[in-house]
Amino acid sequence: MYRIRFHGRGGQGMKTASRILGSALFLAGYEVQDAPHYGAERRGAPMHAVVRAARGPIQERGFVDRPDLVVVADEGLLAEAGAAILQGLDHHSLLLTVGREPAALWQDRLRLAGPVLALADAVIAAGERHFLGAFCAGAAARLLGVVALACLLQAVDDEVASFGEAAVARSRELAEAGWRGLEEHAGSVGEGSAAGASGQAPPDWIELQAEAGDLAAPSIHGGLSSIEVRTGLWRTQRPVIDYAHCRRCWWVCSEFCPDSAISVDADGTPTIDYAHCKGCLVCLAQCPAHAIRAVPERGASS
Amino acid sequence: MSETAFVRWRDLPRGRQLVGGAPMCAGCSGLEVLHQVLDVLGEKTVIINSAGCMSLLVSYPYSPLRGSWLYTAMASAAAGAQGMRDALDLRLAQGMPAEDDLQVMVLSGDGAAYGMGLSPASGAIERGLDFIYLVYDNEGYGNTGQQQSDATPHGAHTASCGSYRGWKKDLFAIWVAHRPAYAATLIGSEPLDLARKVDKAARLKGPRLLLALAPCPTGWDFDASATVEVGHLAVKTGIWPLKEYVDGRITHTKVPRERLPVEDYLVRQGRFRHLFEPRRDEARLGEVQAAVDAYWAELPGG
Ligand SMILES: Cc1ncc(C[n+]2csc(CCOP(=O)(O)OP(=O)(O)O)c2C)c(N)n1
Ligand code: SF4
Ligand code: SF4
Ligand code: SF4
Ligand SMILES: [Mg+2]
Repeated sequence: MYRIRFHGRGGQGMKTASRILGSALFLAGYEVQDAPHYGAERRGAPMHAVVRAARGPIQERGFVDRPDLVVVADEGLLAEAGAAILQGLDHHSLLLTVGREPAALWQDRLRLAGPVLALADAVIAAGERHFLGAFCAGAAARLLGVVALACLLQAVDDEVASFGEAAVARSRELAEAGWRGLEEHAGSVGEGSAAGASGQAPPDWIELQAEAGDLAAPSIHGGLSSIEVRTGLWRTQRPVIDYAHCRRCWWVCSEFCPDSAISVDADGTPTIDYAHCKGCLVCLAQCPAHAIRAVPERGASS
Repeated sequence: MSETAFVRWRDLPRGRQLVGGAPMCAGCSGLEVLHQVLDVLGEKTVIINSAGCMSLLVSYPYSPLRGSWLYTAMASAAAGAQGMRDALDLRLAQGMPAEDDLQVMVLSGDGAAYGMGLSPASGAIERGLDFIYLVYDNEGYGNTGQQQSDATPHGAHTASCGSYRGWKKDLFAIWVAHRPAYAATLIGSEPLDLARKVDKAARLKGPRLLLALAPCPTGWDFDASATVEVGHLAVKTGIWPLKEYVDGRITHTKVPRERLPVEDYLVRQGRFRHLFEPRRDEARLGEVQAAVDAYWAELPGG
């Protein structure tokens, strides 16, 4: 059975990637499961989707904990422990990173037992990151080596149709680009062994005593604790204020920032809190002086 | 009216009640409106939150709020507000200093407010409960993947209904029919109008509705940076009339001088794409325009 995880951020099309790959494998004669990991949908936040494919019925459910292939659509996520990208990777699992850095860098930093490949994403413009899913699905299909290009493109047509003709056309291009990008590595992902229920390790349960309601019910006794949550890691674009052109009209950028991430000092100078700014770029779009520009997060000095 | 503390944009609050780290999507107007409202109300506010996107606002042990927050079942926020108000009144009667009293505010999505939460809210208004009822209306069940709600507009694509054939319920009119102390529509893209209304509501007692249209990049399918722009278009096309009800009278607070065609607003959002592609659906575009025209034609002087 093939077990694949696609990791990305909400809005980067990982659910679509799993659907495209799932449909393509189905067209290639496999029985298939594909599903986004359930959670509240949050644009920018880490999420993942899984695909299982086998020649016979699939009895496994839920999280893929022994992946054969893990695709990471956004290199920045590798720094986020909460994204759980490396979970369950062993000597036979292949990690494919999509972005700018070479495979050797990740191999060195992550010290994985299994192979690492990197696929450059230069064909995808900054404004079309939501098409990453098609690109990743094409790459994954080629790595499995059991999906013909025609099946892949048919799957794109089926899964992207509701987004309109332009989206289908661009998704086809990018799926094919992903597919061609891994030509030399076609078929390098093998099927993992079938795992029966008997082979599964029992969970590490911890017995908890039943406690009185006032102890057992979680309650937070101090406000503003979310300051510890670094939503700045969600950012792919960083807004940068050019203070030479800033007119100190903080009631625009600071007021519109959904995340209260722009504070204002006594003389009206705005400061962006990069630990929490999610990079929505609402401030950039609204700044009347065009004093805010966006720089790609990767490579931006932090 | 001159009693407002908010005459010009620079009168808007400079300090922020919320801190960063909240788990809403990048570019979420619901979160933007919450900060705009709380910045006017101040920290002596207790929030009663019905299940929806904002129920993740406080995810143990993290909270972006200064004050307290109570989570209720989806339909039950107004009932929760009654309990909270009663508890505060009891403590006042037992000698709690008046300055420790709190403003009780429901925070509700449209799915709850226009649908299953309506009956408890109706009961609370009828009992004259002293509370604010803030609705962030993202026109669907956002937290679960944007299924249709009673606030979904005509023609919008949702995850459950395809292109919606029904018409958005008029929650403002439903509240006004109850003769509440105050009711207003708001939008995050008009912060001065919003601040004036929140300020007015804060000075009144009794049931008070603050109904904010909340452009949702995830559910409506537009780029996160366009949240404010989409809001502006909702007002300029006349789709979202800004108005208030006080002392038995409805006043429009911002009448677009020359309304833009509704399609200027619709075309910006993927949920309406099928009205434009593969070919323009003149009939349905005409229906939406006619409904907006009819609304404004009925106004005195419209
Ligand atoms: C009685 C009940 N039915 C269904 C749910 C599942 N549920 C959780 S949030 C949600 C959507 C709520 O929609 P809305 O009130 O518009 O808030 P939004 O998610 O858009 O912020 C649903 C259906 C629930 N919590 N309770
Ligand atoms: S909106 Fe632009 S010009 Fe105005 S304070 Fe913010 S950054 Fe400066
Ligand atoms: S990009 Fe701008 S508006 Fe968006 S979170 Fe960052 S500072 Fe706020
Ligand atoms: S789905 Fe919409 S309303 Fe919900 S958090 Fe995301 S942007 Fe906000
Ligand atoms: Mg909603």
